[in-house]
Amino acid sequence: MLTVTFKGLWAHKRRLVGMLMAVVLGVGFLAGALALGDTLSSNFDKLFASANAGTDAVVRSATTVGTGVGAQRPAVDVSLAATIRAVPGVAAAEPSITGFGEIIGSDGAAIGGNGPPRLASYWLPDPVLNPYKLAQGRAPATPDEIVVNRGAATAGKLRLGQTVTVLMPTPVRVRIVGIATFAGTDGLGTATLAAFNLAGAERNILGITGDAAQASSIVVRAQPGVSQAELTSRIQRVLPANVDALTGVAATQQAVSDVSGTFLTALRTVLVVFAGIALLVATLSIANTFAILVAQRSRESALLRALGGTRRQLLGSVVVEALCIGALASGLGLLAGLGIAGLLKGLFDSFGFALPAGGLVVSGTSIVVSVLAGMVVTLGAGLLPALRASRIPPLAAFRGAAAEPARPSLLHAIVGGVLASGGVALVVAGIQAPTSQVLSVVGIGALLTTVGVVALGPVVAKFVTGFIGRPLAAWRGTPGLLARGNAMRSPRRSAAAATALMVGVAIVTLFTVYAASLKTASDNGVKGSFNGDIAITSGGFGPGTLSPELATAIGGLPGVRTATGISAGEALIAGKAQQVSSVDPVHIGAVLDLHPAAGSIAALSDSQIAVSQHEASNRGWQLGTALPATMPDGARMQLSIGAIYTSRDLTGDYVVPLALWGAHNRQGVNSAVFVKLAPGTDLAAAKAAVTTASTPYGQPTVNDRAAFIAAAGQGVNLVLGIVYVLLALAILIAVLGIANTLSLAIHERTREVGLLRAVGQTRRQLRSMIRLESVILSVFSVVGGLTLGTFLGWGLSQATNVAQGFATFTLPVTRIALILVLGALAGILAAVRPARRAARMPVLTAVATE
Amino acid sequence: MQTTLTKAAARAINATKIYGSAETAVRALDEVSVGFPQGQFTAIMGPSGSGKSTLMHCLAGLDQVSSGEVFLGDVELGSLSDTELTLLRREQVGFIFQSFNLLPTLSAAENISLPLLLAGKRPDRDWLDTVIAEVRLGDRLAHKPSELSGGQQQRVAVARALVTRPQIIFADEPTGNLDSRSSAELLGFLRRAVTSFGQTIVMVTHDPGAAAAADSVLFLSDGRIVGELREPTAEAILDRLKAIGE
Ligand SMILES: Nc1ncnc2c1ncn2[C@@H]1O[C@H](COP(=O)(O)OP(=O)(O)O)[C@@H](O)[C@H]1O
Ligand SMILES: [Mg+2]
Repeated sequence: MLTVTFKGLWAHKRRLVGMLMAVVLGVGFLAGALALGDTLSSNFDKLFASANAGTDAVVRSATTVGTGVGAQRPAVDVSLAATIRAVPGVAAAEPSITGFGEIIGSDGAAIGGNGPPRLASYWLPDPVLNPYKLAQGRAPATPDEIVVNRGAATAGKLRLGQTVTVLMPTPVRVRIVGIATFAGTDGLGTATLAAFNLAGAERNILGITGDAAQASSIVVRAQPGVSQAELTSRIQRVLPANVDALTGVAATQQAVSDVSGTFLTALRTVLVVFAGIALLVATLSIANTFAILVAQRSRESALLRALGGTRRQLLGSVVVEALCIGALASGLGLLAGLGIAGLLKGLFDSFGFALPAGGLVVSGTSIVVSVLAGMVVTLGAGLLPALRASRIPPLAAFRGAAAEPARPSLLHAIVGGVLASGGVALVVAGIQAPTSQVLSVVGIGALLTTVGVVALGPVVAKFVTGFIGRPLAAWRGTPGLLARGNAMRSPRRSAAAATALMVGVAIVTLFTVYAASLKTASDNGVKGSFNGDIAITSGGFGPGTLSPELATAIGGLPGVRTATGISAGEALIAGKAQQVSSVDPVHIGAVLDLHPAAGSIAALSDSQIAVSQHEASNRGWQLGTALPATMPDGARMQLSIGAIYTSRDLTGDYVVPLALWGAHNRQGVNSAVFVKLAPGTDLAAAKAAVTTASTPYGQPTVNDRAAFIAAAGQGVNLVLGIVYVLLALAILIAVLGIANTLSLAIHERTREVGLLRAVGQTRRQLRSMIRLESVILSVFSVVGGLTLGTFLGWGLSQATNVAQGFATFTLPVTRIALILVLGALAGILAAVRPARRAARMPVLTAVATE
Repeated sequence: MQTTLTKAAARAINATKIYGSAETAVRALDEVSVGFPQGQFTAIMGPSGSGKSTLMHCLAGLDQVSSGEVFLGDVELGSLSDTELTLLRREQVGFIFQSFNLLPTLSAAENISLPLLLAGKRPDRDWLDTVIAEVRLGDRLAHKPSELSGGQQQRVAVARALVTRPQIIFADEPTGNLDSRSSAELLGFLRRAVTSFGQTIVMVTHDPGAAAAADSVLFLSDGRIVGELREPTAEAILDRLKAIGE
């Protein structure tokens, strides 16, 4: 029996290519995602290991403020380094001082744009403790000398001895005296570095010199023969309360797990989710291929049964076939995954999330998971058709009956209808559910709706394909008429062919609608609260990079009535790390109306905080509620709620006065500066003046009100762009599925093709017929997907609105129309190969095929 | 250049068809020269594998001869492109195959008009009605092929072949799958098409009774024409077949 299976596989190899492709792409995506995770994790490991290579102990505050990569900790006194140096066994101890510093290249623009981190630090004089090594020049000796990393020097066309501007974020003029490498490479990933001597770092990064100066940590090197553990315990004895010493190895591990625990896990999860979508679509697509193949072989199967093959053998045969295809495809997918990992990295780089480079690493777990996924998907897709094949009665061999019921049963229709309507009802009802349950109820409803709609596909396929085909038949004449007939002849198969693309399009639409809804909410929020005339933003991600001096400089321009900065950061508030905005309460009102529901922003005192209405009502807070808070420098305090506001799009949920924030942060940076002009001032002239004035501060983006409002929602579109790229593979798999179905159908209809050609169908008409059938199928999928996706997008945005307080359902009409058009085009593309092959079939073989 | 009185609807001059190459080469047609006069009903007979279908396919522009010439009316087929051949078949040739003559997705009426539909032409209503009446399909027009009997399906095929008023109709064993009553009926239709409408028909058949309905019978053996019988009777045909050694 196995021989028969393998012979059969070999004989049908051409027909298996399409199926193979779907699994290869799906597994490839998964393997690529996992490999990228492995690679990044290994790169981060290496990075931290080299960064900490010479460090035997690290001394730092025991508390953290906030979450995420390199979670902020309160600082320690720089003077602690001297205390530690006195501990026996210590060879060197230096304060580690790092902060923000943006180097301006020779062309006047900031090096690295807004992507990679831009670091400024204290150049550790101990060459073992310092992970950077001088490649040229010398260490900085005065506060106005710096060392830059080689990558930054190359990118900014900077030379040794050149005087450059570094935005700290207040511009400082310094001379480059050294160029450094990191572990033999151009730098720490693509991060740029400007390293000062101690006085320079204290002045420019800490803003304080002398005894009050504080460092992020103290790094220590042991004398030979002193173990890290021994060193650490000796140091710990001289440390003040709330300051910890840990071994270099432990510090490295913690840094690594900080990254893997947050950033890497999130990245992996996102990628695996999208790989899962691709695999789901692949499963749907190959399940259909299997069904068709098994149906086409029903005579063969029946003959085997008649000759004494048992049902079990027949079932086994299809299972073995699925396993073979699964194994082969998974193997190929694994190889493809290595390429896809590179593409994914490129994708993130091109969207501005620079990831550290390094050779590709794939862990054993990733290989096993990918291969298993491929096998399970193929086997799962093959099982149902296999069961059907095994049920073929031996007599069918002589009747030549099709093993495939063309029409769905009544039960099928009822089950589909109940699932779909139940799901819809759940989504609609879920929106009214209590806040905490909204997302889960709506989620379950969405899942049920999707399953129901997929189940209903075959029930409505005949009607819908007929409906779509009618205008095509009228427009394209006979080929259209024939295409319509072909699309309608087996509703079950048409629906199965369409399902994969439908699910893919539904997901694309869901994201599109959801993104549009978020953007509308953001636009409306910004429009409703921003009253300024000009906004200056540093762009990119993370906290801002604008010097507080900028607001002052612009405030002095003629025609400017108010120029006030806003900055962002993280603090622990009521036990949770929260994003906090800080504003100048006196001036912010001129440019930003937060629509207070209670209290007043302008009257906010230095021991008060303003909270959004959404957050306040979720947490049960009122005006006057005292919230425990820990500031970035570790200071603990009670802040009472002085205002509750409703517009949270520009400031988030927490706003504190600038004076309070500035007292507890080292480098003051603004994320934006908002400008209000005096009445009657010419906007264009004022904007030009503001642009000129802000140029020395790293050429930030200067927008008028309209452009600022438009740009505020751009982040959503950026993420949507990445999502589109990640979904592209799933769509490709789905389109391949349609191509595959068409090829198989044409193979089945060889005699029809021959007959048509004999009685006068030209090759062009034949191709047109196949193309139109493909268009009908893909439009069927796309219309289904758009409808489903729009509904789910509506549900999700309503649910988000209830749970999170933003998202305003919006139907992005142009985009939806574009998806429809692209879907039809995809249909045309899918038909290219099958149509060409059909047209190449000699008329006679077709006529003569018995 | 035509020496006979009636013009030939189709003719072959020294037509040779070789399948395969070198050792496996099969000479399906061997220097065949033959003409099919207009308005005549010609039957082709011969043992299985003698080249009957091949001759027909070459004459109909479905296949190309290896050497020699084939004319449909005045058009030499060898120089035509695939599209030109297709258009020629659509307008000048009618087909009736032994089985699988109809597209399952189209109704009987649509199957009948298929060549016209493909040409984007409106059917000539009177002629269409005449043809449908002739093959007695009036009440079955809306049915799909799967809802028709074998005889009815072949009648639809006859109507389709007639609908374009082609130069010539080729029928390859059209009664091969039919019972004797349906066969007789079908032959009657073909005969009447020749007699009443002056249609030229060439029919391959194994059945001497069927061949007797034709005006003349050509005998083929090993790719060569080995004889002709005018005004044939079933007995005369049988005798001739015995002589060829079928
Ligand atoms: N496509 C083909 N390839 C190779 N040989 C063929 C092909 N078609 C027909 N033949 C051979 O040509 C000869 C004539 O075939 P055919 O015209 O079909 O005979 P008939 O219709 O008289 O039974 C046979 O020997 C047949 O095997
Ligand atoms: Mg034959």
